[in-house]
Parts: sequence; C-alpha cells; structure tokens
Amino acid sequence: MSQFLEFTVLGLILGSVYAISATGLVVTYTTSGVFNFAHGAVGMIAAYGYWELVTHHVPAALAMVLIILVGAPLLGVIIEWLLMRRLLGDTGERPIMVTLGLLSILIGMALVVFGENRGDTLNPLVGGTFRILGVGVTSQDLVIAGAAAAIAVALRVLFHSFRLGVALRAVVDDPELLATSGASPVAMSRTGWVLGSVLAALAGVLLAQQQQTSLDTYTLALLVVSGFAAAVFGRLRSVPLTYAGGLVLGLAVIYFGSYAQPHLGSWGPDLSAALPMIFLFGVLIALPSVRLRAVGKLTTLRPPRVASGWESLVAAAAFFLVAVACSLTLSGTVVGGNSSFGVVLDHTMAYGIVGLSLVLLIGYAGQVSLCQFAFMGIGAFLMGKVAGGGSLLGLLLAVVVCAAIGALIALPTVRLRGLYFALATFAFADAAYTGIFPDTRVLGQGLNVGQIVLPGLSFGGNRAVFLLLAGAFVLSALLVLAIRRSLFGRRLVALQDSPAAYATVGLNAAFTKVAVFAIAAGLAGLAGALYGTAAGIVGTSDFDIFTGVIFVLFVVVWGVRTVSGAFLAALSFAVLTHVWTNGVGLFAGAGIVLIGWAPNGIIGMTWLSRLVPHRPGAGRRASTHDAASLVGVVDTREGDIRAAG
Amino acid sequence: MPPADALAPERTGGGGSDPVLEVRGVTVHFGGVSALTDVTLSVDRGSVTGLIGPNGAGKTTLFNVISGLQVPNSGVVVFEGRDLARVRPHRRARLGIARTFQRLELFGSLTAEDNVRVGLESSIRWWQWHRLRASFPWARDEAGDGARATGSRVVGLADRLLAGVGLAGHESEQSSAMPTGSARMVELARALAMQPKLVLLDEPGSGLDEHESEALGSLLQRLAADGMAVLLVEHDMELVMRVCDRVHVLDFGHIIASGTPDEVRADPRVQKAYLGASAGSAPAAGGDV
Repeated sequence: MSQFLEFTVLGLILGSVYAISATGLVVTYTTSGVFNFAHGAVGMIAAYGYWELVTHHVPAALAMVLIILVGAPLLGVIIEWLLMRRLLGDTGERPIMVTLGLLSILIGMALVVFGENRGDTLNPLVGGTFRILGVGVTSQDLVIAGAAAAIAVALRVLFHSFRLGVALRAVVDDPELLATSGASPVAMSRTGWVLGSVLAALAGVLLAQQQQTSLDTYTLALLVVSGFAAAVFGRLRSVPLTYAGGLVLGLAVIYFGSYAQPHLGSWGPDLSAALPMIFLFGVLIALPSVRLRAVGKLTTLRPPRVASGWESLVAAAAFFLVAVACSLTLSGTVVGGNSSFGVVLDHTMAYGIVGLSLVLLIGYAGQVSLCQFAFMGIGAFLMGKVAGGGSLLGLLLAVVVCAAIGALIALPTVRLRGLYFALATFAFADAAYTGIFPDTRVLGQGLNVGQIVLPGLSFGGNRAVFLLLAGAFVLSALLVLAIRRSLFGRRLVALQDSPAAYATVGLNAAFTKVAVFAIAAGLAGLAGALYGTAAGIVGTSDFDIFTGVIFVLFVVVWGVRTVSGAFLAALSFAVLTHVWTNGVGLFAGAGIVLIGWAPNGIIGMTWLSRLVPHRPGAGRRASTHDAASLVGVVDTREGDIRAAG
Repeated sequence: MPPADALAPERTGGGGSDPVLEVRGVTVHFGGVSALTDVTLSVDRGSVTGLIGPNGAGKTTLFNVISGLQVPNSGVVVFEGRDLARVRPHRRARLGIARTFQRLELFGSLTAEDNVRVGLESSIRWWQWHRLRASFPWARDEAGDGARATGSRVVGLADRLLAGVGLAGHESEQSSAMPTGSARMVELARALAMQPKLVLLDEPGSGLDEHESEALGSLLQRLAADGMAVLLVEHDMELVMRVCDRVHVLDFGHIIASGTPDEVRADPRVQKAYLGASAGSAPAAGGDV
C-alpha cells in the first residue's frame, strides 16, 4: 500500500510536468486556433537564455523575471508578427507546417548557438528535499506541481470571468465578428501568443531546473510532446480537463512502469517511453468525428499543370539518364568530410520516394502525415529480416505490410479533422521511434539489411544499387503522376477542395483517405527497404522522428504538389544532412516563413511567374459577368454574417 | 438548350401526386436558436418545387438536413419511401439526391470539365475494373457496348453537360477562377452528372443576368418534364413564379404557406412576412427579397 502511495506521488509530480506544458498548448490553441508544435522549443530557448544569464552572474530570481516577463513576450510578439498573422482563420495544413517550421528553426538556431548538448545543469530555483508519504520529493517538484495547478486555475478564471479572456477565445471562433464588437483580432491574437510564450518559457525554465541531466536541445524542445496527449484530452480547449489529463497520464506512466512493465518480461518491448504517445492515440480515437459541413471557401490556389502521360515518360527517361551519368562521374567525389557523393545520391533517391508519398498525401489529398519515416524504418526492418535479408520477398513485404499498417492507422483516425489526424500520425511515429525501433530485435543500434538480389540480377557494386534506387524513384514518380491523372487523382484533389461537395456527389471520403494513406505508406516502406539496401546497416537514428518532420517541411517548401518538388526536397535534404547538419533545420524553418507568401512552394513561385503573368481570373470575361460576380460576393458576405449570428 | 438525354434520370411512370421526397416535422436548433420548427413538405417526381423566404428563414439548413450534412433534432426525411435517418451523406447522394450550394463548394483546383467528370464517374467503385479501365485516357470505345463510358466518352458527356448549362467553351478553365454565375452553373452540371432523381438547388440564379436566368428556367422545366424532381431555393421571384409547380414559404423556420405560385402570392401571411421584412416590396414585384 505504501508503495502504491509512493507511485501515486511520483505520478502526480510527473503529471504536473505534463500539465504545465499542455496548458500552454491549450492557451495558444484557444487564442489563435493554431496548435503550436514549437511550444517546447520556445521553452527550450527560454531555458538556454536563463542559463546564459545565470552563468553571467545574474541572480536566479532576476533572470527568471527577465526571461519570462521580458524575453518571452518579445518572442511571442515576433512570432505573431512574422508568421501567424497571415494565417489567422486558416484551417488547412499551413498552420501545422508553420509551427513545425518554427520548431525546426528554433532548434536549428539553438544548435548553432548553444550546440546539441550544453554539458551543464541548471540549479533548482529552490533547493532542499521533502518526504511526502515516504517519498523523497525535491522542492523543485513541489514548485512545478504548484505552478501547474495555479496556472490551470488562473487560466480558467481568465477565460471565463474576464472580458479580455472571452475576447481572446472569440478570436478563433470568428475574427470578423469579433472585429465588429470593437476588439482587434490581431491584437487579441498577439496577446494570445504573448501569453502562450510566457507559459512556454515558465515551463521550459522550471522543467530544465528539475531535470538533473545536462541541458539538451532536443530533449528540451520535445519535452512538451508528452503533453500533447493531455492537451488533446482537454480537446485543446478546456484548461481544467487538460490539467486532469496531465495528471492521469502521469499516473498511468508511473503505474505502468512499476506494475505492468515487469510482467511483460524480456520478450515485451519497453513501452514506458512510448506510453504518452499510445495514450495520445487512444484519446484521439475516442474523439468525435469532424462534422461535415459546407464552408463556402474556394481554394484560390492555381495548381501546377499536370504532365501528360507522354511528357512524364520522356521526362522520366531523361531523368534516369542524367542520374546514371551523375552516378558514373560524381559518385567518387567526397562531400561533407567523409561521405562520398554516391551516398548522397542514394539517399536522394530513397528520400525522393518518401517525398512522392507526401505529394500524394499532402499535395493531392490534403492529408498531413508526420510518420513517413516510421514506415521507412518498418520497410528497412522487413528488408533486413525477411528471408535472411536482401531478398525480393522483403522488398514486396515492405510495401505490402507498410500499406496494411497505414490502413490500420488511418481507419480509426481519418474521420478526425486534419490537425488531429496529423497528431495521430505523429503519435504513431513517436511510439515507433522511441518504443519499437530501439529494441535490439527490431533495429537497435544497427541492423544488417544486406544487398538486394533480384532473380537473374545481382546488385554487387554501389553503382548497381544506385541504378536500382534511381529506377525505383522514376517508377514511383510515374505512378504518382498516373494516379493524379486518373479518376482516383481527380477524387483526391476534389476531396481536398471540398469535403462537403465530395460527399454530396456520392463519394466516400473516409474510404478515399484510407486508400491514399495506405498507398503512401507502401511507398514509404519501399523507400525504407531501398534505403536499407543502399546503406547496408541501418539503425534507429536513421529514422529519427524529428528528421522525418523536417523532411516534410522540405517537401512543402519546395512544392508539395509537384513531383519535381519532391525530388528537389530530397536532393537538398540529402546534401544538407551530409554537408551542414545544423543547416537542415534552419533551411526548413526559413523556407516555411516563405510559405506564407508562396503557398505552392519554391517550384510554384517560378512556375507562377513564368506562366501566369496575371492574377487568376483577372480580365477574363465580359462586364456582365463582372457585375454578376460582384453580386455573388455580396451574397456570400450576407451568408457569413447570418451564419455567425 | 440542354441535351436532354444526357441529363435525364430514368423515366418512371408519371402523372399525379408522386412524392419522391417527404420532410415530416423537421426541427433544428442551434444552441438556443431554432432554425427550423416542425417543417413538413413534399417534393413530387417530375415537378419543380420552390422554397422561398427571407434571408435567415432556414432554407439552407433544410437543404443540409435533406442531404445529410445537418442532423435534425427531430423529424424525419423520407426519400422514395425510405427513412434517411441513419443514411450518411454520400449514401444519400448514391440513392439519387444531388445538390448545389449557396456558398460555392466547387472542386476549385480542378477545371470545370473535371468537376463534372468527378460527378459523372462517382458511381465507379474500385472493384469495377472494367469501368475503371474504361476511364483511362487511352481506353477505346468498344463498338456496340453503349453501357461503357470510355475516357473520351466521359469527357464528351462532361462537355455536353457544361454546354447544357451554357458553359460551352469554358471546359478547361479552373473552376475557382470563374465568375460566380458560371461557377454556379458548374455546380449544377456536376449535380446533374450524377443523374439524380432529386436535385436541390440553392440560389442557382444569383449571379446570372436576365438572359441566363431565363435559360436556367427553361432548363429546370425540361429536367422536370423528363421526370426529375427539383427543389429550388431562389430569391429571383420572377423565376420562381414562372417555373415552379408548387411553392413553400419559409419564415423564421416555419412553413407559413404552401400552394401554387398564384395561391402563395395571394396569401396574406406571405405578404405580411415579406412586407414586414422589407416594406413595400411584395414578392410579386419580382425583386430580390
């Protein structure tokens, strides 16, 4: 019994850690409609800033005040001004991409300035330990538990009892309506980001002080990830429910680790690390379906032209020839210190196939997936384990099994709205990366995949393997383009443009989404199997979840609606990872800032300037139609106001 | 104007009162506001039924209830004798209910032609390999097999449908870049492509000039003559009075009058509702109400 009490105290303290970061997420979401993936990164920057001040002999209390009440609000204002203002009211995938970009740019900056690990610990704000119910508890633990509870109460009171709080919540529901009541939506959104940053900084500094390991950029930035489940438990709206969710999650993790894990014995994987993500997936599945409704918002994006069958065949052949030529001439060149350019080219092709899967998913169907690297890992695992490694059967199984797993993940989650679906894929990716891949029976530090043998063909040399990869990329590109030109492709684009109209022409949105997710998962599995073949030995770190997220950003930056965007993303990603690792995050982050101006990515920009000198629809029809469209605009506005009232 | 054979649904026995759709006692609340209260109406096969009323009367909400986008708090929707309560939106569409939207819901990044193609091909399922194969661009029309729609035939049908709504020559325009009036006609063509038994039209005439609106009127009458049921929400009173066989008047979520256009026009409650809404413009005046 005393042991149970001990675990309960530990669970509540851990739960307070989750709650303190999750309530900050809820504040940003409630006040700006944006789920801030970078919440933890803001906290990480704050922790480093605090460390910097303290090492320069600023008193700890003063440093806290400076960081939390001066630095953090400033950062909030900058984030709102630079990134978020043009996203107000956007419910698509762009807010997800922008906060992921912010995450990667903050991490990238921290890596450049502070390095990956500071090798230094922070002193707790208050020292000393207590014994509660026989459990040793530090004062810092108590500070965190108290702060978590106090923040929850204060936010609840603010949001429901003060005019400012109500206005802050209203900005998400209807910015235009809020404007008519005299409050400025931009000012409210800015206040929301300032409040969110303050909470992120408070959590970052407190948690960094509590952690008795040295300051680590990734650990700090992704600390909040475990809090996602608590925030979703509160439906991203309710502060009290989020707080409760945090405590429940903390208790679950401690109880599971203490009671259940030992019984799993040696055969069971170590699930403790993955538990918050399993919890998140469970909470997501329990959420109600998104309501299908007519939103009356037309996409104004002009999509890139789709290449015809002959054009893509010719381009594919030319591409393959160029790839062969590059491989013959450049593969021996050494880049980035010790890796040869041949390795870069191999990676380009493998990542390129992952990029193609994202073109299908995000570009055509509008479904954000953050778990393509997890499918790669599964593909590499199958390639290495099935039939002794390197067999054709492994390659086929990689595609089929990944597609099946993809369908299984998508089935219960496609009915959710875009953000929750993206979070579900994130939960899966994180669970795979932290819970399953590190097991030595899966990938561990390194798994020997072995080189592939096809019937009648042996891929002995590096060049032969590269030709295989390039061939696979070209075929995948042709497949993706053929899908886009087919009936299925038209349906994917239609589904992204208007889910309501999609249903009212008699098409099943859920089925279409599951199908495209399965195909994309199969492609990523293929990429992983080929990546493994080319590398020979792969480990867990090859399929890092954060690297996977950054790669998604690369594809979005270059142009997620085009095959060439996927290729350029893969090429630049492969080159940067070998040449300047820290630059990867910086490039993705800086590129994402650009996306506010160029929604079709870099490819779309040049394409637009070359082929469409005028704005879409400008100067097209006779004056009667201009008058007619004006009437239409007036009608729509009336509809807006009525719907809001 | 329209190629009637491309637009017409299956012909069924006609004549007399033959309700394809019945709405009985439908009530919808949004929070404390009630959008629809005990609404009952029916739509006959082969007729054009008008649904009019001031802004905010609940017309679009009723369309959403019928097409399944809005679950009513009480009441039933019966289509061809079948209660639709547990039928999801895409299933309702497959049963033969098509619609357009007041605030456009086009597939904006597709061309006008591809919008209609999605409607035309919506009945193709993934296991119907022969139909899938026929949708490939290189598929050839097999002589004597009229049931098969080849890729080129689908395109041909889509173009004929677009021509039918007055958009010949605009097939390859991106639909979101089209003027509102034309975009509404793309939605109409997409709905008709499904060969529906009932089509719900939410203000198809707004954004059309006098000429186009006249053409729309004759198109609707022709569709009805071919056996389709049309439920029309429209602010253009002249159009409503000219083409509708019956008219229902909705005001603050209540049906306040039903009958032929002449009966409705003469109804004192209707006149009061409209005069109350905007003094001096009776529905007969033909203005936007």
